[in-house]
Amino acid sequence: MKAFKYILPLSLLIGLDSCNNFLDVQPRSSISDDQTIIDKASAETAVNGVYDSFRGYYSINFQSIGYLSGDNIQWTGSQSQIQEFINHRVNAENSTVSAVWSGIYGTLNRINHVIEKVPNVQDPLLTPALRNKLIGEAYFLRALAYFDLARIWGGVPIVTKPTATPSDNRGIERATQEQVYAQVLADLNAAEPLLPATTDRFRATQKTVWALKARYYLYQKDYAKAEEYASKVIADAANYKLVTPYNAFFANDARGTTESVFEIFYSVNETNGHRGQWQPQEKGGTRQWAPNDAFVALVNDPEIGGNRNTLVAKDNQGRWYGNMYYRSPATDPTFVIRIAELYLIRAEARAQTGALTGALADLNAIRERAGIAKSTAATSDQLLLAIENERRIEFALEPHRWFDLVRTGRADKVLNVTDPNRLLLPIPAEQLLIDKALKQNPGY
Amino acid sequence: MKNYLIKSPRSGRPGQWFTLLVMLGWLAGSAAFAGPGELTGRVTDKDGSALPGVNIQIKGTTQGTVTDTEGNFHINVAEGQELVVSFIGYVSQQVRPGNKSSLTVKLDTDQRQLNEVIVVGYGTQERKNVIGSIAKVDPTDVKSIPVGSFDAQLQGKVPGVQITSNTGVPGEAVTVRVRGATSINGDNDPLYVIDGVFMNSNSMQTTNTGGKATSPIADINPNDIESLEVLKDAEATALYGSRGANGVIIITTKRGKFNQKAKVSLNASYGWAKAAKLWDLTTGPEHAQLVNEWWINTGKDTPSLNRTEANRPFRPVSEGGRGLPEEQKTYDRLGEIFQTAPLQNYDLSVSGGTASTKYYIGGGFTKQESILKPITFNRASFKVNLDQKISDKIQIGVSNSFARTFRNQARAGDGPAGGLLQAALHTPTYLSPTNENGELVGRAGFDNVTLLLQNYDVKSVSLRYIGNLYAEAEILPNLKFRTSWGLDFNNYDENEYWNTFLITGSPNGFASANNGQATTWLNEQTLSFRQKLGAKHTFGILVGNTIQSDLNTGTTATGRGFANNSFKLISSAATTTGSSSWSKKNLASFFSRVDYNYGGKYLLDFSIRADGSSSFGADRKWGYFPSVGGGWRVKQEDFLKNVAAISDLKIRASYGVTGNQNGLGSFAALGLWSSGSSYQGNPGIAPQQLANPDLQWERTNQLNAGADIAFFGDRLGVEFNVYRKYTSNGLLSLTLPATTGFANYRSNTAEISNKGFELAVRSVNFQNNAFSWITTFNVARNVNKIEKLENPLEYGSRSLILLQQGHPLYSFWVYKQLYVDSQTGNTVYEDVNKDGKITVADRQIDGSIWPKFFGGLTNSVTYKGFDINAFLAFSYGNKVYNHNKFFGEGGGARDAARVIFASNNDRWQKPGDVTDVPRPDGVNVNNYRDGGSRWLEDGSFVRLRNLTVGYTIPVRHISSLRIYATGSNLFTVTKYTGLDPESSASSAQNEQGIDLGTPPQPRSFQLGVNLTF
Repeated sequence: MKAFKYILPLSLLIGLDSCNNFLDVQPRSSISDDQTIIDKASAETAVNGVYDSFRGYYSINFQSIGYLSGDNIQWTGSQSQIQEFINHRVNAENSTVSAVWSGIYGTLNRINHVIEKVPNVQDPLLTPALRNKLIGEAYFLRALAYFDLARIWGGVPIVTKPTATPSDNRGIERATQEQVYAQVLADLNAAEPLLPATTDRFRATQKTVWALKARYYLYQKDYAKAEEYASKVIADAANYKLVTPYNAFFANDARGTTESVFEIFYSVNETNGHRGQWQPQEKGGTRQWAPNDAFVALVNDPEIGGNRNTLVAKDNQGRWYGNMYYRSPATDPTFVIRIAELYLIRAEARAQTGALTGALADLNAIRERAGIAKSTAATSDQLLLAIENERRIEFALEPHRWFDLVRTGRADKVLNVTDPNRLLLPIPAEQLLIDKALKQNPGY
Repeated sequence: MKNYLIKSPRSGRPGQWFTLLVMLGWLAGSAAFAGPGELTGRVTDKDGSALPGVNIQIKGTTQGTVTDTEGNFHINVAEGQELVVSFIGYVSQQVRPGNKSSLTVKLDTDQRQLNEVIVVGYGTQERKNVIGSIAKVDPTDVKSIPVGSFDAQLQGKVPGVQITSNTGVPGEAVTVRVRGATSINGDNDPLYVIDGVFMNSNSMQTTNTGGKATSPIADINPNDIESLEVLKDAEATALYGSRGANGVIIITTKRGKFNQKAKVSLNASYGWAKAAKLWDLTTGPEHAQLVNEWWINTGKDTPSLNRTEANRPFRPVSEGGRGLPEEQKTYDRLGEIFQTAPLQNYDLSVSGGTASTKYYIGGGFTKQESILKPITFNRASFKVNLDQKISDKIQIGVSNSFARTFRNQARAGDGPAGGLLQAALHTPTYLSPTNENGELVGRAGFDNVTLLLQNYDVKSVSLRYIGNLYAEAEILPNLKFRTSWGLDFNNYDENEYWNTFLITGSPNGFASANNGQATTWLNEQTLSFRQKLGAKHTFGILVGNTIQSDLNTGTTATGRGFANNSFKLISSAATTTGSSSWSKKNLASFFSRVDYNYGGKYLLDFSIRADGSSSFGADRKWGYFPSVGGGWRVKQEDFLKNVAAISDLKIRASYGVTGNQNGLGSFAALGLWSSGSSYQGNPGIAPQQLANPDLQWERTNQLNAGADIAFFGDRLGVEFNVYRKYTSNGLLSLTLPATTGFANYRSNTAEISNKGFELAVRSVNFQNNAFSWITTFNVARNVNKIEKLENPLEYGSRSLILLQQGHPLYSFWVYKQLYVDSQTGNTVYEDVNKDGKITVADRQIDGSIWPKFFGGLTNSVTYKGFDINAFLAFSYGNKVYNHNKFFGEGGGARDAARVIFASNNDRWQKPGDVTDVPRPDGVNVNNYRDGGSRWLEDGSFVRLRNLTVGYTIPVRHISSLRIYATGSNLFTVTKYTGLDPESSASSAQNEQGIDLGTPPQPRSFQLGVNLTF
């Protein structure tokens, strides 16, 4: 063995160079991690990569937490992990919860690479405006990521540096929910001045920041600020307005309509598997997520659903299915923020602050678009309930219902979730196993 | 095993049976014939010891006698007659007594087994000089088992090699494990070397058939194989270095012989295959009854659900229900998809040679339909092997195998869309295949079975060339140089078309095509030298090098949106996408072996291989794999030389290091960002993996000790091996905390051990000119254990498989059902942590896929022109999770979404009922919990793999004409309640042993003819 070790290098000397070359094979669809984000082009592609990663969890998994935990959808498939959301008996082993957790932190790593490296890129082609825009987009997307982390799990580890080795970004204890929300605000504030005041429905702009700020302040119960930022977006009526009828923002392959403030882009090469869960077999889906009887009754009630009854349709066996995600090829957008939400945010903020007339006007804007009668709500409480019910129908197949009921403290009354610990989801069990710094939420 | 004895008298405890067979054989062999005589004689062995029981026969007559205990005999012999003196284990002799009145015959022991040539790494050895643990397999008697690939035929034939057919679909991947499994995230398949070419054994299938994969081994025509050697211990495999840890299977194809006139051989067979049994399903009324029961039970458990007798689903139509249970119809879908499948196979070959040229030319065609329509496996193959002597010292030659393998594929595995077996099996029987308008519709999320059968269009064609060109020269006496160039090229073409009648093709058609190429080329040089020094010392030295390159490329295109169902090509689609893939791996190696033989008594050898691989980390480019082995031929010692009964005894031991890099991935060590993360059609990049410059091969240290004993020449041979393998640096995708942004990191942190023994026995129970009976038997035990694994890993549907330190790989992780409470009808599970609740903490490991023992028993009998071969394979102590039954025993909770198996009829219904099937309640609530142990079953089996009866017809001018009938899987004795205890939903190595909708290995019957002239 020893002798061989000496003989070998000798024999290798003859063809050492060629041998070393022979044993150095580089991939063709990947690049070495020391060659990323070095110039304008690579900075731009890295930011595209961040948007792409939202497709990872904003296509199906995050969405399913938001609406399956509500009261509109039933599960017709065989895996019990989905049923856990509907029953509000989510286990720490739940694979959807785990996928969203990993998806968001994977996104954060991409974002942190951009925030860390783009400021140092030396490339004359990377103009200050473009550099600011790219960094601003990253800050906005980081705010969105932490916002979702905070509302699903409460306090989570805050990671703001990219991962270069396997020992980075682990063993970080969970911050409090307040600290995470503070991070959201800090990132939104950082993004706002860096971003241009243009309109882009598929990428972050200053106006996208305002919209998310409105939602953020509503969650924080800072109603004045929520109203202020919602108004800033609604005021831009040239670019943002409710489209009529209701389904005009998604039917007939619509995308990027004036309804949309921020939506995730999908195409033939960047598909969205969401439709498969909704569409019936005859349309190439599984209809594993189907509107339940209660929701079908509501949305088909002309007084309540109005023209929003186009959210559901019947298959060739007479069963109802959800029809918001239907495109083939599967290019349905993920609607993150619609102008309708800003109307309802402002309505709620106004109702909370006693500005009932304004609140009613905002609510009725939504009802009018749905083709139903104006609300008769007269008191602040009636208005808040009317807004809650309106949101249930308006965002039935978008991930709002669960978070709304948790945010307003109404999950107990409406969904019969009596255990307050169930309002936050469990930290994925396998994460607790591999990172001892993490502690589980109470009750799991 | 006791149960088998009770269940079927045809199969006993193999060991006992075997002993009995041997004893019977010997008794028969010793029986004496009487006869008066003028000639007296004596038969001895070559040392002069008397041989009793020797058969003396007058040639051409039936007259004969047998020697007595002193070796003496008397017989009447007419003038000119010849005597045939034969005895098992000795070389027969013919003597002409002439006019002698007495004679002595000395018989030589028959040493054919000892002198048999064994193929070892980069060379051959006589069996008597072999130190390593190498099994030589003669594939002849299993060749007719109708499966796609030869590995599937070898189940039960090779001691210590566990072979599992996960499905009955011909040509699908087969799991082959040599002495257990050593790796979690690396590959556990052995290395295949065919005529010196390292063969690609990774499936190239990309089409989703629900966890199944095609076998690239099926591109080889079993009929072209001359012999197979399975190299098991480190002495035998260390010369294969970083690829030897999981054993090496060396395949030698047929070649001609110098100075042999042309020999033509034809083999043709035709047969039929059929499932031995199918699943028992509830009828429509039974299904409805169970659903109603579930409804009412859950209503009682949770009153807020408002489920009562009054609003039960199967109530009269007039009350808004689906009709009363007894009004439900029953629709059979299984009968529609299973068939009696035709099998056919034809092989034609010509071989021969002149003084300087030898050749083998073979062609073969096989067509096997699956018992599951419309799956078909076709292989047409062509083989040319040529060797040419250029001079006394130089020889060149080529080996060429070409095959075209066509598969009509269907999704025989998991998954709804296009899932043929699931659609037929898992759709509730009460649901009509048509809707109220009479149109065929899919139910329960599955496709309509009739529409599937009419419209299935998934096909693949594998074009495979494996070839080798060599030149050999004797530079000096005893010094040989050999150089060779090898190529394994596989073009794998897949096409799918899904029209609008099927889920995948809805709403406007979907087509996909994939073309993949796997190319391996290699160049090898070896220099070998052998020299005898004096009378006693023999040395051999081998040095060599290899360079090898593996390239994998693929191009995929899909199309969606077809004008109508007549357009099927992607080019007719409205939207199309395309992508491509590329990966490459280079390997450079140097190796050497030195062996020493002292007087044929003491054997010693050392070997080493150095492997440099492009896929290893930057700091670990080269790995070294040494081994040492020694043997002692005790029989050659004076104290054993004169013990006649023991004709050979050899003791051997070896120790060495081998590696495994299969499954490592070409670029796993590099820190990479990937492209392909585009947004709005603009290119995007994203972090892909973290660098690990220390990433390397898995390292397996193996100790082997064994003995070969032969009694009475070849009459009884026993081979025994014990081994211990310990694998460190095991490849593991180490899970990283998600906060890092990465899911995992490739590391070398797992440790796994395998310990076991193997016993092989070959007994010639009886043999004379007219009748012979040979029994071979093998049994092996392997104990697998994960020695080091930081965090347990969950695999398979519902995390049914858990890999945990201290337990074997592929252990089942279940909630243990203790019993069903006869008062409440509820399942009682073991509360492991005694906290009064059943939570995931109460899940426990209960058995694994590994058998305690496995092996095979073959009996071959020939009588005059007849031959009978019966081959049993067995496995004892392995478990199977009957996941199919888990779905089928939902107790009605899945309502119209899943079928209910007939076994659910045995449910608890009223207090006092004693059963292990609980009352129906919710899905995953209690009684039908995911991962319950009720569906974990004993997968032990004894299977009559093959029974062949042949008759050789004596015909003039034809050297051999044989007709035969062969049956495969004629019976299987097992307690397993599914169809086939070997079924596995997935061919993924960490998800074995979960049976979910797989066609079973069929029972088949074939008639055939072999003709040689």
